[in-house]
Amino acid sequence: MSCGSDHCVTCGDDGEPMTVVAIDDERGLALCTGDDGKRITVETALVDPVAVGEVLLVHAGTAIAFGAPV
Amino acid sequence: MRFVDEFRDADLGQAVAGEILSLVEPGRHYKLMEVCGGHTHSIYKYGVDDLLPANVELVHGPGCPVCVIPMGRVDDGIALAHQDGVIFTCFGDMMRVPGSSGSLLDAKAAGADIRMVYSPLDALRIAKQNPEREVVFFAIGFETTAPSTALTLKRARIEGVANFSCMCSHVTIVPPLRALLESPDLRLDGFIGPGHVSTIVGARPFEFIPADYGKPVVISGFEPLDILQGVQMILRQLADGRCEVENQYKRVVPYEGNLRALEVLAEVFELRPHFEWRGLGFISHSGLKISDAYAELDAERRFTVPGVRVADPKACQCGEVLKGVIKPWECKVFGTACTPERPIGTCMVSSEGACAAYYNFGRFAREREVV
Repeated sequence: MSCGSDHCVTCGDDGEPMTVVAIDDERGLALCTGDDGKRITVETALVDPVAVGEVLLVHAGTAIAFGAPV
Repeated sequence: MRFVDEFRDADLGQAVAGEILSLVEPGRHYKLMEVCGGHTHSIYKYGVDDLLPANVELVHGPGCPVCVIPMGRVDDGIALAHQDGVIFTCFGDMMRVPGSSGSLLDAKAAGADIRMVYSPLDALRIAKQNPEREVVFFAIGFETTAPSTALTLKRARIEGVANFSCMCSHVTIVPPLRALLESPDLRLDGFIGPGHVSTIVGARPFEFIPADYGKPVVISGFEPLDILQGVQMILRQLADGRCEVENQYKRVVPYEGNLRALEVLAEVFELRPHFEWRGLGFISHSGLKISDAYAELDAERRFTVPGVRVADPKACQCGEVLKGVIKPWECKVFGTACTPERPIGTCMVSSEGACAAYYNFGRFAREREVV
């Protein structure tokens, strides 16, 4: 999830599927959790509206798309 | 893991590899460029190239955002970080990129307050927690990352965070691709297009490649099966005599891109007349700067930065690697003077860099044995 010594997901243009667990509509933010269980605050302006339980593709703390099912 | 395991299925991989084999003409050499550093990383992590016929060669493009930052920009960042009262923030891999006299990590060890962040939003949070300090965010990355910076600058203004600014080194993907296509020393048969950049910009900006240069483009995802299918789709186009932009990564990439992101980019940034790329030199309209409308959030206007151009180290051949002219292991200093622990060139810094990908996943040993 975070920038580590062996792989920086942000520098790597990675998009990470994360699940919305809470929404702050007023500020356009969502609390999301990744598969590793870590939670981060995510900017949702590019994909709003979002709902709890939806999967977002997150890059650099911003949801850039919905994590579409396969 | 959700949305991932399905794209790492070995049996399906073998099946696609079989289709690829059936599409190649014996005696013809195919040279395909994967534009994105994320593709490079996946190709060597999962051994995707081992599944390809010997006459299908993957060439690594300039799509690692860390690898293309020139030394002078790193020096500018270090100079900013050493200014009184500044907290300098940047992404993880950027910390290790060498400038002319050390990296940001070295500057941190020398006493500068430099902090690694996961997102621009984290940098803004640090600014709010330290109102007596000036917090500068070193923004790097392609169109995937630039909207995140733009939204954070808008948020800083809305929330009245006056001690936050950004040193913008964002770049755009199309101008370097055009520069590569104009390069006389590089012959390519097609492109694996960048998946996450395309999530933002869509597929349309790549239409000039088939239209003007007659090369197929397939925008692809980052899992092994995505990349294999991207290769298969390019080869299918070549076999059919077609030449167009196709989208393998439809589950994420809309053909028109993310219109909201494009709007916010247009509002907050404007194109620089030219921007220096590591190893590629100056490329017109390839970099973003903060627009006049957001001037108060531009660290380069708020602080004095040296802005001195620094030549790449002579021993380093990152330029040839980024252009796909040589393989990483063909560089004179690869794996000897230049390693991920002590990189000389930026391609050895980020795990998306072609040199680091080769080094970390042991490709160089196999390549040398072959030779």
